Amino acid sequence: MKKTFNWLSYFWINVVETLLRFFPFPAKTGMVKIGSPNRNSPVLLTCNFQLTVRRVKHALKDVDCYLLIANTKGINVWCAATGGHLNNHSVISVIKTSGIEKQVDHKKIVLPQLAAPGVESKVIKKKTSWKVLWGPVDIKDIKEFLDNNFTKSEKMHKVTFPLIERIEMAIMWAFPLSVFLSLIWIPFFIDELLALWVQVWAISLITFLLYPIFEPLLLKEKRQKKHAFFGWSKSLILIFVSSFALLGTVVYTIILNTNMFEPWLFARWCIFSFIVSIILVIDLTGTTPIFKSDTHGDKVFTIKVDSEKCEGTGICLSVCPRNCFEMDEEKSLAIFKREQDCVQCSACIVQCPFDAIQFEDQKGNIFTPETVRKFKLNLSGKRTIRENQS
Amino acid sequence: MKVLESSPHRYDKGIRILTLGKIDEIYDRLVENIDKGDHVLDIGCGTGMLSVRAINKGASVVGIDINPQMLEIASKRAEQLDYQAELELLEMGVAEMDGFEDSSFDKVMSSLCFSELPEYELEYTLIQTRRVLKEEGLFIIGDENKPRTLIKKILNFLIRFPLVLITYILTQTTTSALYNLDLKLQSSGFELISVRNNKLENFIEIIARKSKESLS
Ligand SMILES: C[S@@+](CC[C@H](N)C(=O)[O-])C[C@H]1O[C@@H](n2cnc3c(N)ncnc32)[C@H](O)[C@@H]1O
Repeated sequence: MKKTFNWLSYFWINVVETLLRFFPFPAKTGMVKIGSPNRNSPVLLTCNFQLTVRRVKHALKDVDCYLLIANTKGINVWCAATGGHLNNHSVISVIKTSGIEKQVDHKKIVLPQLAAPGVESKVIKKKTSWKVLWGPVDIKDIKEFLDNNFTKSEKMHKVTFPLIERIEMAIMWAFPLSVFLSLIWIPFFIDELLALWVQVWAISLITFLLYPIFEPLLLKEKRQKKHAFFGWSKSLILIFVSSFALLGTVVYTIILNTNMFEPWLFARWCIFSFIVSIILVIDLTGTTPIFKSDTHGDKVFTIKVDSEKCEGTGICLSVCPRNCFEMDEEKSLAIFKREQDCVQCSACIVQCPFDAIQFEDQKGNIFTPETVRKFKLNLSGKRTIRENQS
Repeated sequence: MKVLESSPHRYDKGIRILTLGKIDEIYDRLVENIDKGDHVLDIGCGTGMLSVRAINKGASVVGIDINPQMLEIASKRAEQLDYQAELELLEMGVAEMDGFEDSSFDKVMSSLCFSELPEYELEYTLIQTRRVLKEEGLFIIGDENKPRTLIKKILNFLIRFPLVLITYILTQTTTSALYNLDLKLQSSGFELISVRNNKLENFIEIIARKSKESLS
């Protein structure tokens, strides 16, 4: 009784929502049957960002299971978990009110690993008696994960920023920017419109295509100086990107426009190209999944593991999306090894059953697991955290 | 009212401004039906503005909310008023209401919270509310409402639009005003006692009673 997968609508949803990636698209929340599940079929959970839901369903098209769609206000898993929208309550709520408890005989639920900063497995267990299993970071690996009896390979732990996602991010910026600029251009310079779009998309694409070259610079600066909203690395990237933009400007306004040199045309092209370049570079780090956004840069934390409390269960290793931890097998201790890779997502702090991991800011203030769990770090707790630290 | 919740310590001031100072009157009207000695549940109590008013009238209140930062402010408020004994604050969502005993509250109240719940949660909340209320207990609700007539829909849209936009820009979320809550209450086993709409029909205050006959 398998429903055939609707490729056409999948395609359109992907196109539209990639263009409008900036905006949350809430999908209907609740329980969904995938294939023909029975009483022992796996139960998975995801956010209610429309695009994610579609991709999850796509990845599950040959699997029989139940999918719970939690209310994350239409925001994707990673942003919702770090921003406080995918939290204990949204998970408890969908488990208890969606009717799943009447459908299956087990109490195991697979959550995306990237939900770990927001959802405490301990609390879910206590309040619903359901056991949380952390699934792969990338939904593409879900079938392998289920086939291998819920075990994750090394690669399933790690967040990466592959070409296809980089292109998506480029489009996410390019589309709204070109629409916005069009609004200004249409009344005055409508014949430049096509060229303007080409220019904006080219700048966005080049920025993200060349990201692998920029990444080492960003990392290097991060290692030297911990807090930089717009430091030398971004300045370098900006120079590069805007030179490219200048090249485009020159090609359009001088080489293609052979009649004569029009200073005002040249100037307005320089201006918008530079603005686009700046916008792209300013939050370049926040657009990647591998850096914390610098727009929340006022707090920079490092991770501290308390070796007294750590019991070496390795839960931090299994939830860290950047593979920052290593296990000292002899002493049975987790070691925070690769600080430069840490994105401060707080997954390890939130999940550690012994409260052995904490944040420390540059002044040496400690943020206990209790504080981190309660106030999150990005959106909601930002202001409050300052008032509550002791 | 999502926009205010992202900075809880400004919530109270913000809500007064947004409602043009009407919110105090609304709260006062909502607690008119609270009597001395009542045991009251406040769903989505937030910063506890409604809860403390019920305590002023001599009730004891259990306030539940999922936002620990809002609760923090509520607890400070209770401390200042020396209401710690009368106000019990619990960090929990409506989905955990099944933890309360049957018929354990004289009254259940909620302001501006139901418009934030997804449909299935609202349904669940109505069922649970009926269960935790004592026989003939009152259910008191004040919330944003969707008008039913077209003209008012349009007017309301124009008025709300800037607010929705700001909310969206700051929190990337929207709330959906309630629609047909009166009908939903009736089909969940409540009798309507009074329904009060403002002129624009964008705010509704409902008093309902748990009806005697059990639901089929
Ligand atoms: C706009 S505030 C209203 C607060 C207060 N009742 C008042 O009138 O000032 C809505 C509150 O509902 C809470 N809330 C949202 N969803 C909830 C849920 N599922 N369970 C419990 N509370 C919830 C929010 O955390 C927020 O504090």
